[in-house]
Amino acid sequence: MRVIAHKAAKVKNLSANQTLTLISLLVFAVAIATLACASGSFDISLWAIVQGQASALENNVFMQIRVPRVLLSGFVGASLGLSGAALQGLFRNPLADPGLIGVSAGAALGAAIVIVLGSRFGVGATLGAFLLPMAAISGAALVILLLYILTSGFGYQGVTYMLLVGIAVNALASVGIGILTYISSDSELRGLTFWTMGSFGGVTWALLVPALLLITAALLAMVPAARALDLLQLGEIEASRLGIDVGRLRYRVIFAAAVAVGASVSLSGMIGFVGLVIPHLVRIVGGVHHCYLLPGSAMAGAGLMIAADLIARTVIQPAELPVGLITSAIGSPFFLWLIFRMKKL
Amino acid sequence: MMVMKMLMMLITLLCLALPCLANTCTTARDPARISVAGGSLTEILYRLGAEKQIVAVDSTSNYPPEASKLPSIGYIRNISAEGILSLYPTLILGEDDIGPPAVLAQVHAMGIDIEILTEEHSAQGIIDKIRCIGSIIGESGKANELIKQFMLPRIDELNILTKKGRLANKKILFILSLQAGSPIVGGTETSADGLIRMTGSSNAMADVAGWKATSTEAIISAAPDFIVISRRGLNTFGELDEMRLHPALRFTPAAKAGNIVVMDGMQMLGFGPRTLDAAVTLSRRFSSTKP
Repeated sequence: MRVIAHKAAKVKNLSANQTLTLISLLVFAVAIATLACASGSFDISLWAIVQGQASALENNVFMQIRVPRVLLSGFVGASLGLSGAALQGLFRNPLADPGLIGVSAGAALGAAIVIVLGSRFGVGATLGAFLLPMAAISGAALVILLLYILTSGFGYQGVTYMLLVGIAVNALASVGIGILTYISSDSELRGLTFWTMGSFGGVTWALLVPALLLITAALLAMVPAARALDLLQLGEIEASRLGIDVGRLRYRVIFAAAVAVGASVSLSGMIGFVGLVIPHLVRIVGGVHHCYLLPGSAMAGAGLMIAADLIARTVIQPAELPVGLITSAIGSPFFLWLIFRMKKL
Repeated sequence: MMVMKMLMMLITLLCLALPCLANTCTTARDPARISVAGGSLTEILYRLGAEKQIVAVDSTSNYPPEASKLPSIGYIRNISAEGILSLYPTLILGEDDIGPPAVLAQVHAMGIDIEILTEEHSAQGIIDKIRCIGSIIGESGKANELIKQFMLPRIDELNILTKKGRLANKKILFILSLQAGSPIVGGTETSADGLIRMTGSSNAMADVAGWKATSTEAIISAAPDFIVISRRGLNTFGELDEMRLHPALRFTPAAKAGNIVVMDGMQMLGFGPRTLDAAVTLSRRFSSTKP
């Protein structure tokens, strides 16, 4: 039923239900962002900030620590959610996730190199703050380049080929990370472990602005592919007969997703669950139409990530938990419950 | 070439633009509210009578026991900028693995002094740490007193125990824990290696660098005379007897003779003043048996 309804709907614009869902997701994301800006272990009154009555330290903590953090978590959530939705559509596989194309593994390798080898070459604490994301994004860029060479050099290849390349790239990066783990000292190993659990701590405007520009550009490049992704669900041959350039669509989605995920992961570390599951949540609520699914996943991803980070930094204050733990811990049971409920219907 | 040059320039610029977090050991502007990251530093502050100035500690600060009642900023490598600032510290004292670097840079940008003490795994290293903290909080007199009263007598005792290298032929195996069936041992460049050197004996795992999982054969051929393990490490084996009969250890001279020493891990490896007590205890134990 659902599939037929979807095929009929693909020529139409958003249904009323979908428009309503998108609006509520947007409201949810904005509301949670406001709440996140207002709360934290450092006691700041939002009202005092607005009125300009806050102390210099309060203003600094708000503008230099909290706001960049909330922005970053929102954008990373949006980028993982939207990339996940687009890749699932492209691969026509509900298990596709941004990690699958190997970009996060490449970023992780870059980060691991700095965490483990950086201290040996006398990279100071302060320089390390910039070097780590730069190395991570270089690792991600290297994987993107590798994907480009491998996939274009062999002419037309199916989606399976793409998946296999991703798996091989993942394995390759894991070997590098494994070697670095082996030679790492105790404290470097801890650094590596925390990086793989993800955190939005320590982000500054200087790091944030370039990342936000990259993420925004990549997300904007993916959204117009929504119609083509809808048609692609009929099958690659059918889609190309309907006038879709499947090869170009594939490049567009994969490289935009790779850039978005690479920029995100370079600043936040690895955050599981969001890219895989957010699109499913959004589909369950409002349908599979990509014009709805792509923006919906971005908003839901942003809202959930900001909420998860809010929990991560307040639940055991003044200390904090890795945000990757929170996303999985609240996300997975919720997802199980949704699946369970769906079965009963 | 062009790219390399630009990259170099960028890195240089970043270096100049960022605050330098170095260990200067100069008196802090205001040591009234100290946030500490590192068990040894907390211990030293208590011993210097500065405990009232501590507003927060990290999770490795478990000595003296009352220190763990203070607000916790979490694990030393994973501190939170807002969390630490919410306690309004005027000074942050950290061991050299305090992090992540990005968070430190943020906190420093808020105008809070951060002093990171270099870690050297020796008795002199502990003395330097005490001196440095003494001058940072403006209590150099008390620091000298602590060195004279606490450190020097123990160092003298160690010197007597290890005179003429009489313990140098004792081979010590330090085990951190048992992971997936293989013991994680302390090679060179670890805090355990520093402790073993302080006791005047030799590290049985001198040909390994860092904390490494080792094979049964490597342990047997290392033939340690003593095995040292922390209480928490022992728990990964179970009871002491289970450890003695563990396949990886049972054929070593240490296990055969029952020469397994169990002690508090932070005391042994924290490299605060009480690590000297650990070294003295170990040295005594090592010299109590005939070669």
